[in-house]
Amino acid sequence: MNRLGHRTRYMLNCYVLVATTVVLLSLFVYTPVIWAFTKSMYEFEVGGASRFVGFRHYKEFLTRDLVTWPALAHMFFLTCFAVCVRLSIPLVVAKLIHSLPSERSRYIYRIIFLIPIVVPGVAIQLIWGSMIYSETGFINQFLSAIGLPGLARGWLSNPHTALLAIAFIGFPFVGGFEVLIYYAGLSGIPESVNEAALLEGCVGIRKFFRIDIPMVMSQLKLVLILTIIGGLQGYENILILTRGGPGFKTTVPGLWMYLNAFSFQRMGYACSIGVCLFILIFGLTFLNFKYFRSAEELKEN
Amino acid sequence: MGHSKHIALHVVLGFIAVLTMTPFVFVLNNSFRSNTEQYHAFFGLPNVLKDATALVGPALRNDTKLIRIEDESGDTFEGTAREAFLYYVGQAFRGYKMAWKQVRPYMLNSFIVCLSAAACVLFFGSLTAYVLSRYKFPGSKAIFYFVIGPMMFPAVLTLVPSFLLVKQLGLLNSYWAMILPYIAGGQMFAIFIFKGFFDGLPEDLFEAARIDGASHLQMYWQIVLPLSKPIISVVLIMNILGNWNNFLWPFVTNSDGTHHVIASGLYVIARSTLNPDFSTLFAAYLISSVPLLLMFIYATKPFIQGVTSGHSKLKKIQP
Repeated sequence: MNRLGHRTRYMLNCYVLVATTVVLLSLFVYTPVIWAFTKSMYEFEVGGASRFVGFRHYKEFLTRDLVTWPALAHMFFLTCFAVCVRLSIPLVVAKLIHSLPSERSRYIYRIIFLIPIVVPGVAIQLIWGSMIYSETGFINQFLSAIGLPGLARGWLSNPHTALLAIAFIGFPFVGGFEVLIYYAGLSGIPESVNEAALLEGCVGIRKFFRIDIPMVMSQLKLVLILTIIGGLQGYENILILTRGGPGFKTTVPGLWMYLNAFSFQRMGYACSIGVCLFILIFGLTFLNFKYFRSAEELKEN
Repeated sequence: MGHSKHIALHVVLGFIAVLTMTPFVFVLNNSFRSNTEQYHAFFGLPNVLKDATALVGPALRNDTKLIRIEDESGDTFEGTAREAFLYYVGQAFRGYKMAWKQVRPYMLNSFIVCLSAAACVLFFGSLTAYVLSRYKFPGSKAIFYFVIGPMMFPAVLTLVPSFLLVKQLGLLNSYWAMILPYIAGGQMFAIFIFKGFFDGLPEDLFEAARIDGASHLQMYWQIVLPLSKPIISVVLIMNILGNWNNFLWPFVTNSDGTHHVIASGLYVIARSTLNPDFSTLFAAYLISSVPLLLMFIYATKPFIQGVTSGHSKLKKIQP
């Protein structure tokens, strides 16, 4: 066999080895991405026939659909709420853990705050829905136990409290990965910086704001971006707990897409909502990649 | 002063830990209590606990006096202290028995789907990453970007068209509807992480192996894989964690309910009746947490790495 033949065979082997990956990705990742755009231009009729409608779905979603703007408002509320709590409480907890003197107790607290991750997300939502927020649930029982039965209500079925109740799921918001990310950031602060701060008399709360927060900025940015992206496209919990109700009080655009696709069989319209959300998220994903890398670089140094 | 400060830290952290754990403690407690019990006293301990502990003494003495027990539904039981004690223990775990009957098929489906997807992701992902990392051939860079590029497409964009695709392929209501997209989606991350790791392996190793006459696949099997054990476990855990918790995709692709996994199955159990038996429901939640808990205990370090690396959270933005 001549040299070129050897080279060709070598290349062919390489292509064969990566072929499975490429085929699977083309079929199950790229095809849906392309279809999202193309199918959004079609109206699907029951029975299989479809009709080209151009950008009519986008126009309907952005101008005529009465659910769109309230849903966007709910989404922004939930996202802002999530950003506020995910950037503050886990950071404080991570700082408290990091201030503990013994390595053992620091480890134990990190483990304790991570354990809720093993419970399936669906179970968490259902636990909050059935045990905490329901008419006979934890909050109402607690309220009547302390003599305030008048405040008891169906937290998820009351139009005034439903959205807030959704936002408060997971309280106190520390059972997850954020504490660990912040903790890793705090551990990454060079000892020289801590010593310099101590020499300058910068301790306690002042050190927290002047030294710690700037030093974990890349972790904060990472969590910020991930929380925003998660907030813009998250609707699983709402689907499980309220399906957007009461009325449309907890509907978000993602859920509206889901309902259009799987309850009203308007697949094309659902695709157009997905594309709109994608455009909204795209810029943020881009930022995510940028900061995601900076957080990784910090860890390596 | 320093000592009291540390006690204060423990108090604050302990309080937050208790708040975090409260729902789960109540789920555990109420998984041993009947609906009537929970209705009458939400905050109480299981009656069974009191009844059973009262019988410990007589049971140890092997009291032969017959004890008669009447339960809520009017059924009666009669037996010696020892038998009565065992009866109470059985009653305490009644919810678990019922829950296990319901979640067993879902758990089995979850295992089948998660493990086969994870195995394929590891195999194809590491192989592709190895080829892309150690061999230069026309288009290798383009293929790498082709692989990791779709990470920027969020799940919300692809959910509906993915469903249409799987429907068109006739894969609805089958394991394949979950396994194949999971393999495809999981590989993006696996390859991204593996390639980063493989790129850092010293070239000398491969040089030496080549001189010793190792074939390409031997190098992959005998050098790369053994060195990559830590990163393999991280990828494995991230993959299983993501797929195990995926609710939406199994839920929409199993319209006839035959292939529900644990996440979608729990929802089905919880929503199947207006008056659920809470002890069964809560027991089901706890049973469904056991596999990941075991994984967490068995592999704490890679688990923490998998969770904090940030990659796992990126996963949220694709199917």
